[in-house]
Parts: sequence; C-alpha cells; structure tokens
Amino acid sequence: MVASAAPAGGAARSGARESVAWSAGEGRPGLFLAPIVLWLAGGFALPLAVVALLSFQPAGAPFAPITAELTAEHFQALLTDAYYVRIIVNTVLLGLGVTTACIVLGYPVAAWLASVPARWKSLAIALVLVPLLTNVVVRSLGVMMLLAPGGIFASALRGLGFGQVQLLFGWFAVGLALTQVFLPFMIMALYDGLQGQDRRLVEAAEGLGAGRARTFFGVTLPLSLPSLRGGIVVVFLLASSAYVSATLLGGKKIWVSGMLVMQEAMALLNYPFAAALAMIMLACSILATAMVNLVVARLTPWVAQRATTDLGGTRWPWLARSGWAAADALAPWVYRLLLALGLGLLLLPMGLVVVASVNDVPQATVASFHGFTWRWYRAVLDNQRYIGAFQVSLQLAFATISIALLLTVPAAFALARHKLGRRELIAALLMLPLALPGIAKAVGMLKLLQWYIEIPAFFGLLAIHVVMVSPFMLAMLRASVAALDRGLEEAAQGLGAGRLATLVQVILPQLAPGLVAASIIGFLISFGEVTVTAFLVTAQTQTLPVRIYAEASFSLENTINAVSTLIIVATVALLALLGRLVRLDHAWRR
Amino acid sequence: MTRKPVSRTGLTRRHAGGMMFAAGLAPAILSTSVRAAINRGDTLTVGIWGGAQERITREHCAKPLEEKYGVKINYVLGGTPDRRSRAYAERGRPSFDIIYLNIFESRQAVADKVTQPPTAAVPNFANLYDVARIGGYGVAFNPVTVVYDKEVITTPMTSWKDFWRPDLKGKIAWPSYPGAQGTAALLMTARAFGGSEKDVDVAFRKIAELKPFAAIQSSQDQLYGMFDQKVAAASIEFGSFTRNYAETRNPRIVIANPVEGQAIAANFACITVGTKNQALAEAWIDLHLSPACQKAYAEQIYYSPTIRNANLPAGLNAKLIIGDAQVKTLVDFDWDHVIKMQPQWTQRFVREIAGA
Repeated sequence: MVASAAPAGGAARSGARESVAWSAGEGRPGLFLAPIVLWLAGGFALPLAVVALLSFQPAGAPFAPITAELTAEHFQALLTDAYYVRIIVNTVLLGLGVTTACIVLGYPVAAWLASVPARWKSLAIALVLVPLLTNVVVRSLGVMMLLAPGGIFASALRGLGFGQVQLLFGWFAVGLALTQVFLPFMIMALYDGLQGQDRRLVEAAEGLGAGRARTFFGVTLPLSLPSLRGGIVVVFLLASSAYVSATLLGGKKIWVSGMLVMQEAMALLNYPFAAALAMIMLACSILATAMVNLVVARLTPWVAQRATTDLGGTRWPWLARSGWAAADALAPWVYRLLLALGLGLLLLPMGLVVVASVNDVPQATVASFHGFTWRWYRAVLDNQRYIGAFQVSLQLAFATISIALLLTVPAAFALARHKLGRRELIAALLMLPLALPGIAKAVGMLKLLQWYIEIPAFFGLLAIHVVMVSPFMLAMLRASVAALDRGLEEAAQGLGAGRLATLVQVILPQLAPGLVAASIIGFLISFGEVTVTAFLVTAQTQTLPVRIYAEASFSLENTINAVSTLIIVATVALLALLGRLVRLDHAWRR
Repeated sequence: MTRKPVSRTGLTRRHAGGMMFAAGLAPAILSTSVRAAINRGDTLTVGIWGGAQERITREHCAKPLEEKYGVKINYVLGGTPDRRSRAYAERGRPSFDIIYLNIFESRQAVADKVTQPPTAAVPNFANLYDVARIGGYGVAFNPVTVVYDKEVITTPMTSWKDFWRPDLKGKIAWPSYPGAQGTAALLMTARAFGGSEKDVDVAFRKIAELKPFAAIQSSQDQLYGMFDQKVAAASIEFGSFTRNYAETRNPRIVIANPVEGQAIAANFACITVGTKNQALAEAWIDLHLSPACQKAYAEQIYYSPTIRNANLPAGLNAKLIIGDAQVKTLVDFDWDHVIKMQPQWTQRFVREIAGA
C-alpha cells in the first residue's frame, strides 16, 4: 500500500512529519506512480512493441523465429489491395455510423437522466449501467432475438406492410447490436456534461424567446461538446475494433477489421499479417481521436478563450424563423420518440434474454414463447462447464481488482495530491490503454506467451485485465482521493498519530466507499470482458463470457440464455450494492 | 485445474518428453509400465463439438472414467477451427489433452507436432478401418451432402450443380470455410464443374455466382436454426445430423444423394503432444471406440462406425456407411494438398465468397 509500517510511539513526531509531507504532496510522487507505470510497461507497452515488431516480419510458418530482415509487405498488401482497403473502410464507416446513432439516441437519454428527480436518480442510472456492465455476448444474443424472424422488430415491420424482411445477418443487425453495446458509454459521457451545465443559461435562452429546439442547438449542444468529444472517441474506438457482435450478428457475411485480425491470428496462425492489421487499426484510432479533438476544439473556441460564434443562428441561416418554430413544435415529440427508442434498445434485448431463459424450446434464438420452464436453469446449475468457467472468471476478476487496487491507489494519491508539473499529461498517459484497441494488445500478449512458455498463461490474461480495468479505477479513485477531508488528517497528525495510524484510522475509512465502488466497477469490467480475453484463454482458463461466446458462435442452446440471465441478475445485485455505498451517478465517471 | 499426479512428482517436461520418446521405442509391455498411471483427481480436458457429441461422450466416456478412476472431465465445446488454433498457439504446453479434428486437420496437426500419431496403446486401435488410423483415431464417418427444404425447393435436388438452379437464388446458406462442410462444398463444386482439389478456381468462380446468399452458416446448429426460421432453404451439411434433425424437428428437410456422390468426412480424436494425462487420454479414446459408444452414435445421430466390430441393429444399415466397400463409395481427396492450401483458400473464401 501507500505507507509502510511507521513507528507510532517514540518516533511519532518524525512519523507525523513524514505524514504531513506525504499527504501534502511534497513526498516522492515517482514512487507512488512507479507500480502502475511498471505494470503498464509490461502489460501494455511490451505487447504493443511485440505487435509492432511482428508487423514487419516476413510471412512464414506458424512457428518461424523472429528475423532481423524486416519487411513492409503486409502493410503494402493491406493498403494496396482493394479488398482489404474495403474492409478497413467499411469498419471505419461502421464505427462512424454507430457513433452517429449513439449521439442521436444518447442525447435524449442523457438529458432525461440529468432531469430525473434526485430520489429516482440511482434507479435511472442503473437502467444504463446494467447494460453497460453486462457482457457483450449476452447483449448481442438479445439483439439477435429482437431481430429474429417472428421477433418484435420483424413483426412490427410486417404489421406496417413491409412483408417478411430479413433483418439478421447484415450491416443493419451488426450496427444495431454495436449501438446497443456502446450507447451507454455515450450516455454516461453526455450525462457528465449535461449534469454540470448551468441551468440559468437555458432559462436565459428561453426567456429570450428561444424554443426547445433552438435552445438545444444554441445552448445545450455547444456547451456539451467537450463531453460529446469524450463519448465520440470512446464509442468510435470501441465500435471500430469490435468483432464479437459482428461475428454473432453478421452471419460471416459481414467482415470487419477485428474479425480479420482474429481469423489471421487464431485460425490461420499468420501473426505478422494480423499484427500489421492491428497496427493499422491503431493508426486509425489515433487519427480519429486527433480529428475529433481538432473539430471539437474549433467548435468550442470559448474553451481556449477565443471569440465565439452563434451556433444556433448564423451557422444555420437556412433555418428561418418559421423553420425554428416548426422545429420547436416538433422537439418534444422527437425527444420522446428518441428517448423511447434509446431506452428500448438498451433494455429490450436484455429483457428478451431473460424471457427466453424460461422459454420451453431448446434453441436459444426462438422469438416466440412456447411455454414456461426452469429446465435451462437446472441444466446450467448441473453443468460443470459453466460452474468451472464461472470460478475462473471469479478468480480472474478478484485477482485483477486486487492488483489494480495496489497500483491505482498510490497513483490516485500522486495525481490528486502532488503538484506535478505535467499532471494532466501523466494522467492522460495512464489512461492511454483505454484509447487504443485491445485487439493489438491481445495479439502481442498471445505471441509473448508463445515465446516464453514458462510464463503461466493465466498471468498473461491477468496482466492484460489489470491494464484494462486500471484506467477506470484510477479515474474513480482520483476523484475519491480529491474529495478526502484533509482537515481530519491534519487533526490526527496534530494529535500525534503516525503515518500508519493516519492511513488506517483516518484515510482508509473515508476512502472505503470509493475503494469498494472502484472495485465493483473493475470487477464487472474484468468479469464481462470478451474481446481481448478470447485471444488469451486456454482450455483450463476459459472465462464464463468467453465460453458462452465460443458456444454461441457454434451452437445456440437455450442454456446460454439461462446463464446470461444469471449474469444480468448478478450485475443488478452488484449495482444495488454499489448504490448503497455511493451515489450511482458519481460511481461512473470517465 | 490439473493436479500434479504423485507418480510423476519430480519429473520435468523434458524428462516426460524423453520418457514418451523411449516409450515409443520400447516394446508395448515395457511402455505400459513407463506410462504414467491414471490418478484419482486428475482432470482430462477434451475439446469437442457441443450438443449430441457432448451428451454421448459424457454417457459413454466421461461417466465410466469418472466412476472407475475418480477423475474429472473438463469439456471445452466449440467448432474445430477454434480448438485447432488454440492447440497450435499452445504447442509445447497444451491446455487440451484431447482435441477432436476433421480428417485433414488431424493429419497436419501430427505433421506439425501438435498432436500425436495413433498407436496400439489404445486397445480398440486394432479394430479401426485403415482410413481411420491416419492422423489420430478416427471415431466416426459422417459424409457431407446436399440438404434442402422440400416445401420451398419443390423440385428435388439430385446434383451438386442444382445449387445453380434459378429457383434457389437467394435461398442458400453456404457453409463457412474452413470446416468439414465448407471444405466438402468447395471440393465437390470443383469436381462437379470439371475441376479438382488441385484446380479450385472454377469452384470459387461458380460459388461467387450464387451471391447473395441467404446466410453463411458456421455450424449445423446455426443451419437448423435458419431452416426453423425459414431464413434459408438449402445448404451443404452432414447427412447424419441432418437426418436426425429432419426426423425429430423438421420433416420438411430432405437429405439428398447427389449423382456425383457424397464427400467423405470423418472425426478424429487426437491426443496433444505434451499432455500430462497420456494414459487417461488413451482410456478415453478406447471408450469412444467401444462398440457401445459407436452404437449410441449410430442410433442417435447416424454417425457411421469406424471400427470393424461394431454391433448395430439391422434397421440402421440403410442409413449408414458400413464396411470397407461402402466407405470407398465416398468421394475422397488429397488431404495433404487440401491442408496445405487451407490458409490461401480461407483468404479467398472470405474475399470472394463470404465478404460483402
């Protein structure tokens, strides 16, 4: 932990002095940051370096050694072959489409969350957090049922006279599933911004005669652009490197970059090619992030204290007065429609999974209800496969949060309390694992584990999981540490308490809710992770979500819905626990 | 998790490898004494297909071993490409003890030193047909053929070329490549249009003509879901499973017997190189090759036996491939060439057939 045992009796004075120095931020921030930096070097920078090296290796047999003769042949093939270029472009377009859908559906839901009365706030936030923290396979299965022939969507279209429409196994299905999966990230990012907006600005706009549409485009939207930027970056990066939903809902007709990396690395054992594609995905991510930052910076000149322009007026001169009047009249209806669509898309697929889990048919994606049964639950609870995988997931998640706490707590103190010259830059670097596609890390770690077979495979998995959850936990803990009451620590030191006593009796009790909250979020992220984990599991270390994914991509028996429902119920229970410890809207901060 | 057996305490992997090598050279009677014994509490990890395969092997292989030796069986279910790629990624430290592969993958895995060649250490090895003794232990013949929904496709399909009939346009779920069904589909198309496994260009060209497909199917379960939901009406699939599906769930489905013949396909149980449960793995495979297990497969999912001493009810014979003469009627290919070309064909399949 952050403090080693310190003398509490005779040496109390020197202990108190150290404590003051430590808590005032004049100690050794490097020491506090060292654990997380070292871990990121091993679990993040090293695999990325391996991928970079592999991407310049010539194509060869699966077990070919690394050579010093570097080649750019894979990059050349990927960037000059129209087929690969099309997959990369399609993936980027899919990412853009999903991001747009998330913006359109995310605003109404975020605005609704911000307007919910305080006593309902936790429940409303839970409606978004439960899908967010339920794994992607479960949610993709729900979307499959939503779109299945005879399902709600297809029946509605038939009712509207469109006849029998094939919705599954195409871009629409994949796009809808990805929107379902990543919408919560956008909502929470926007909610952060909308919650903090000054209500008086909206009131002023209304007082000056602006209707709802004009107020939204002239005040709310411009002021929320910095939050929107965060949402866009996260959703685009995740959507453009996802492959699980595309595999399950694209019916192998839809190919995205992530699927190609998975196929080249895992099925064809062509690691150099997979690595080169991962590097291109990495470059696309960095480019997209830079472009989004640039565009948002231009649209928000007031952030850099430059002159502003009226977004609502001069930018859209074609929207004449009558246009605004029509938009204002329509706005409440559009808001309600989009809110219903957003919440429906978030919750309906999960509801369908729950209903299907008690449906008396052996197939997992049958949309019609044939009768009630508990037998899929009995089958799950009798099934050693699921129980064993559940135990592995638990072990992995607990080990992950234990290590992540050891790394992030000192780092949170360093960031929150030390007057570091480039604090925000350091914080941004520590958040970097979030901003780069996990698939590249996975390929690099997979190869590292092949080279060094002495390293237990579980350790590789653990290293990557810690890297993935640490940024989230660090962000939450940094806020918790910043909120600590320094006066209490000073009072304790004034009364002669040593370093350890201050830590154990003053700091930790105050920090406990924050620690538990960060642990629960870290646990749920680790427990539900599939995209990277699927590369690194072995037969003995199959996690529950990866096992469900492997089975779902081969066979769809209804036990999958039962085990998925159990995961949803466990997520709801953990969030309820979290809600008792901290306010849920404070628990999830970017 | 695997527990270190008492009898092997102190052995390093290198020692174990040396011993296995020595065991291979030694007469059978000596090798059994060198081989590690089965210990109570050992866990055998088996990578196999889900559904009926898991149920039958659980009854006929897992249960007897668990009862007799107090061991545990860890099932890892899924498709062949997934477990094959993991076994390759883990060469030298396998997390699987047994993986089930297709006829072509099993031979290559032996050549790549990922899995072991079959030996007489498995007593039922002696009863195997010759073709089931290469690249692992053949546990079932299950030829691949044309299957369709007769209510949608009203004119019977009697040839592999029937997929190119206008009335099938947009109704086909083509099987994903690589995989037994996808491989058979590619090679039989080549053969039907004058090509061969050495000349598959014609097959890629002809299959691309069939686009757009109703879907690309990755497993029989997926296909049957598509048949149930009328997403697709024709495909290429194992006749065995499909017959069971047609008889129990969907009487609209027909298992065709094309004039060009059915493509050979077989499942092989393969023991990984470096397994720490050699004796237990061999005991498992011996049970899989037992007449009782082979009969259960034949009765439940119409898998044809790979052992000469199978004892099947007379009524089943018409639905199965029994004996050397019948096995020879299946269309066979140069599998060494097929596996060599697999990476290239996979890229072509995604590029020219599956991809948008």
